[in-house]
Amino acid sequence: MPVVELSYTRLQKLVGKVSKKQISDSLPFLGLDIESEDKDLVRIEYSPNRPDYSTDFGIALGLQGLLGIKTGTVKLNIKKSNKFPIFVKSGVSKMRPFVTGIVAKNGKIDDKTIKQLMTMQEDLHFGIGRKRKKSSIGIHDLDKISFPLVYTTTNRNHKFTPLNSEQEIPISEILVNTDVGKDYGSLLGQSPHVPIIFDKNQNTVSFPPIINAAITTVTTKTKNLFVEITGINKDDAEDMLAVVATILQTAGFTLESVKISGMKNSTPKLEQKKISVSSSLINQILGLNLNAAKIISSLKKSRLDASSKGTNIVCTIPAYRFDIFGSMDLVEEVALGYGIQNLEPTLSPSQTIGKTNPVSLQLKSLDQTMIGLGFLEALNSSLTSKRVLYDMVNRDSSKIISVLDSKSQEHTILRDSILPGLIENLSRNIHESYPQKMFETGTVFTFEDPISEKINCSGISAHKDANFTEIKSMIQSALKIGFGIQIETKTTTNPTFEEGHCASIIFNNMSIGIIGKINSKIIENYKIRVPVVGFEISLFESILKNQN
Amino acid sequence: MLLSQVFHKIEKKIITSLRDNPKQTPESLEKSTRLLPDQIRRGIEWLRLKELAIVTESQSSVISLGKNGLESLQKGLPERRLLELLKTGPKKLSDLQKELGFIFGPSMGLARKNNWVEASSDQISIKNPPSELPGEKTLKLVGNKKIFKDKLDATDLSGLLKRPDFIIEDVIKSKEISLSDSAKSIELSDTIGEIDVEAKVPEVFVARTHPLKDTIDEIREIFVTLGFSEIFGNMAQSSFWNFDALFTPQDHPARELQDTFYLDKINAKKIGTPEQIRKVSESHKKNWRYQWDINEAKKMVLRTHTTCVTIKHLAEHKPDEARVFSLGRVFRNEKVSYKHLVEFNQIEGVVIGKDASLRNLMGIQREFYKRIGITKIKFWPTFFPYTEPSLQTMVYNEKLGKWIELFGMGIFRPEVTKPLGITKPVLAWGGGIERIAMLKYDLDDVREFYNNNLGWLRSATKCQ
Repeated sequence: MPVVELSYTRLQKLVGKVSKKQISDSLPFLGLDIESEDKDLVRIEYSPNRPDYSTDFGIALGLQGLLGIKTGTVKLNIKKSNKFPIFVKSGVSKMRPFVTGIVAKNGKIDDKTIKQLMTMQEDLHFGIGRKRKKSSIGIHDLDKISFPLVYTTTNRNHKFTPLNSEQEIPISEILVNTDVGKDYGSLLGQSPHVPIIFDKNQNTVSFPPIINAAITTVTTKTKNLFVEITGINKDDAEDMLAVVATILQTAGFTLESVKISGMKNSTPKLEQKKISVSSSLINQILGLNLNAAKIISSLKKSRLDASSKGTNIVCTIPAYRFDIFGSMDLVEEVALGYGIQNLEPTLSPSQTIGKTNPVSLQLKSLDQTMIGLGFLEALNSSLTSKRVLYDMVNRDSSKIISVLDSKSQEHTILRDSILPGLIENLSRNIHESYPQKMFETGTVFTFEDPISEKINCSGISAHKDANFTEIKSMIQSALKIGFGIQIETKTTTNPTFEEGHCASIIFNNMSIGIIGKINSKIIENYKIRVPVVGFEISLFESILKNQN
Repeated sequence: MLLSQVFHKIEKKIITSLRDNPKQTPESLEKSTRLLPDQIRRGIEWLRLKELAIVTESQSSVISLGKNGLESLQKGLPERRLLELLKTGPKKLSDLQKELGFIFGPSMGLARKNNWVEASSDQISIKNPPSELPGEKTLKLVGNKKIFKDKLDATDLSGLLKRPDFIIEDVIKSKEISLSDSAKSIELSDTIGEIDVEAKVPEVFVARTHPLKDTIDEIREIFVTLGFSEIFGNMAQSSFWNFDALFTPQDHPARELQDTFYLDKINAKKIGTPEQIRKVSESHKKNWRYQWDINEAKKMVLRTHTTCVTIKHLAEHKPDEARVFSLGRVFRNEKVSYKHLVEFNQIEGVVIGKDASLRNLMGIQREFYKRIGITKIKFWPTFFPYTEPSLQTMVYNEKLGKWIELFGMGIFRPEVTKPLGITKPVLAWGGGIERIAMLKYDLDDVREFYNNNLGWLRSATKCQ
């Protein structure tokens, strides 16, 4: 979840007439988790579906609503203007076809505002921009740009002075030598041409989605902003623009439109949309009985507008709330505006009779039987390592099922057997007193259409007198007393076990497992100083035969 | 002090002997009690543990004679031998040299230094020797025996210690056993066959189910009694059921390799019915505006939640009224730490029915928490891609003194249910079990559950 850092005093100024405590008490009820607090600073986690909460301006809008200070939608006041045209050329159609933008004038930008805008930009890039792939933003000092602009392509030899640099660098070098170039260069593919925004004098304004030109850098002296957003989908780019425009207006800027034309591009409208929802659905889902007026006032507290029309509520949704898809989203907005803390939990009697899965019941019986025989239950991960599962126990590793890019070396492959993990467990307990007897029941994985999951049970016994007879009597009794299953053992060889001390476990003329004395070399390699015997059986072929 | 004591016969014999002779060594106790050395050793140890015997260990030096010391014992000290030769009158230096050989030098030096002899031209004559020379007393006292150093005259010994191979000094450890004050008056019962029923006994280890399993079983039991039935599903799932069917777009960050375990080169053969696939993909295209790719949906993953099991069950059975839950392992590609595992247990439950509401969902949660002993709870709004509205439970932990997040819940979005033909509202909730078990067993490192550390497994209290 993305995190944003805020100052309480700044928030108080933005929200108006609230105490610090009112703010910290209300944040969770907007869906914002307080991650940490340090005097005036607070770090909060917000949900990725609410990019408007990536700045204190957006959060202030939410708090105003919830606290009843200002309710209803935030209307964007965009002055129509012809002074800021952008023409789109055909070259970009196949790489990043859309551009959109807005002009924001007469704002005051202090360091804290710049920091908030930068975090917003980063969060938008990462979240709804999908790491700049879908859409990306450039924020510029308007007064350094001469309109009209052209959104076109250029070749990789084109030179300009990028942000945070003092000299002209060719694009090919920007892509190799700067962090942003390395991180996002791959979005441009292999084409010799890349997207670019030039101004009237052929000066580079932006090289989307990588970097702005240095000349348009926003500082605390900047008064007027120009925001451009490029992307692969027009609606997505305009969604992002709606967030930026709303935040800038809230931050005190006045908005003017940017006139966009060419190659299916057009001036963004950033219009509100209307969705209607029935009062009965709202009341049914929430388990409440609210009248239309209460529903409408709740929606307004969620910074939406609404009016009733028959039994329906018609809701007006500002463009930046593109997380609202349909009626259920509005139910949630009612709940938030009503206040989750005001919803009293109820317990309606169950119309159904609960039932434990028969497999769980059988497994529980097996657990009890094993415990009766003195085995302690162990639990290991299904995701294990080649070392534990194959190498240390001499098993054939030609049919490994591995996962991609695991962050942990101990968890890279899925187990097809439980016993190797238990042997490894013994090696971690050599300082504990003996006898040590452990068992584990769990899922094992094998290749089959594409993956088959079965449940196995394995047990081991380690002490100075451990021997084949002991372990065979135990599994034999466990299956007979617990499940009425009569097994036999037939000589076999297996590299995990000592030769001459290893057998297949046979039930109904079919091998359901293996049993024996663990190979002394394995025991030695694990530095275990007592003999170890063990078994592993497949439960779907024995006690769970009728369950699968 | 215990009111009564029962003693083993060994203990009784030792106590009796020590009452006669209050300070003894183990060897002297052997003689007086006629017990074997091992019986004496054990008896002393028992009495010591009961704080009835006091054992003082000490070190002492023992002196015996070395090679040169023994020679001097036989023939006299070199200087004594010189004085003996002079007894009969003065002698020439050269004659003495011949007579005494290599001991002449040192003995002559010593005799002159002490004014025992006098030299005039080459004649040596006796002057004024003491009747007993320094060292002779010690030599005689030690003789062929070993003798404690503190029994010897230290000054007399010191000269001998400086001479090579005269004296051998050994350090020996010795024990002195005596009775404590309480043992002096304790009553020694004569009843035969009694044992010390108050004594400490060895620890034995109880075979038991795993503590985490106990928590899982407890949670299963609670939901069964709340009317839920348990369903099972695979851990390896197609991305279709783990993500697509749950309205998680294919370019969503949660689907990336760095969060989710994808199986290497393994794709599902069949992911759903053609209708399910068509409708799910349409919902994605319409709402998320991108080109939905069936190959992405076929990629096999280790389930990141058990929700895939419940949604598949609902899509297959389309019940009008049901309460089901699934319980099992889920996987996240995380760095393992004290608070994160790559694999952990999750419970996931759903209620489907005409009167299913958010307040009902909250009521079920409250009831569940009450049954595991948590009464201080509250609900906060949150976000999940597949539920709307979505809430999370915060529970107050007295030990930590803070609110912690437990189960998440919500109502499945119509974008999830509609394409799968589910028409009634579905309440869903779920969360990790390890977190609850950690609170229960007071653990602050979640890895302990999978370490199989016998020290912990053998000691964790079964009923918490």
